Amino acid sequence: MPDVEPAAAPPTDRALIAAWQGGDERAAAELVRRHTRALARLLAGAGAPEAEVDDLVQETFIRAFRALDKFRGQCQFRTWLLTIGANVLRDAYRRAKRAPVVPLATELAATAGDPHDHAEASEAEARLQDGLRALPRLQREVFLLRAQQGLEYEEIATALGTTPGAARVHYHHAVKRLKERMQ
Amino acid sequence: MKHEDRESDAAVRAVAERLGRAAAERIDVERTAERVLARLREDARRVRRLPRWVQPTALRIAAALVIVAGVGLVVRGLWPVPDRPVAAEPTSGELSELSVAQLRELLGAVDRPAADQDVVLAQDVGLEDLSEAQLRALLASLDGTVERGG
Repeated sequence: MPDVEPAAAPPTDRALIAAWQGGDERAAAELVRRHTRALARLLAGAGAPEAEVDDLVQETFIRAFRALDKFRGQCQFRTWLLTIGANVLRDAYRRAKRAPVVPLATELAATAGDPHDHAEASEAEARLQDGLRALPRLQREVFLLRAQQGLEYEEIATALGTTPGAARVHYHHAVKRLKERMQ
Repeated sequence: MKHEDRESDAAVRAVAERLGRAAAERIDVERTAERVLARLREDARRVRRLPRWVQPTALRIAAALVIVAGVGLVVRGLWPVPDRPVAAEPTSGELSELSVAQLRELLGAVDRPAADQDVVLAQDVGLEDLSEAQLRALLASLDGTVERGG
């Protein structure tokens, strides 16, 4: 029986960044493939209209690649990317204030299962999104990074330039206000 | 934390985990990667096309210089600049230009003792030292001051 070589571990984000900075386009493409869905979830969760999520994702990656020299590995690449995404979304809202766009609050995806359950789930998501829009920026970002992306407070604090304790406080304030909204 | 608090926290978290999932699933990741790469290539081409002096580093230096100059102008506008000292007008009356008689007169004025000049220091004089006429004159001048002030 021939020896089977163990599959090589996928390159780390850091290795891909170094490769891209050395001119390897495939490395940039791989970074986009790895992080697009997480970024899209954050943007959609933070209230980006679904029709605009793709454009916002692209804009976020472009800004991130342009600013890669400033990324010192202080947090994970994904966390850094997500905070850039939050900034991109904020800029989009500012532009939209001049030409208002009504954000789509509910997910319209058709999925299998009991339609009644899905209607309830969508309603809960819509209420949560309404609540998120009403939160101060830091509370909203900390909540999404923690509850939706599952990041640790230390990681969130580093990415947002605050302390883990402050991030924890923001999260608890956010949860309290969101619960009030959802009851 | 109370049990019901933990439950409601978990409920909020569960909804948050679902947020945006469907939108993310609908994204065509390969197409997004291609578009991002296309824009990055366009960026690189644009930077190569720029003349050397418009390269990002040169632009940063130029921007820094403009900021420094701007701040300088603002500070200069806010800070009161002392008047430029005016050069003393050259005097026409140099000592060498004076005649012998004028020089003698000048030396005499310098040598004259202070007593000759009828100078009376204010702190040395009391009302009792004044003559009647001087007191009247003083009262008259004071009346005039009061009338003008009133």
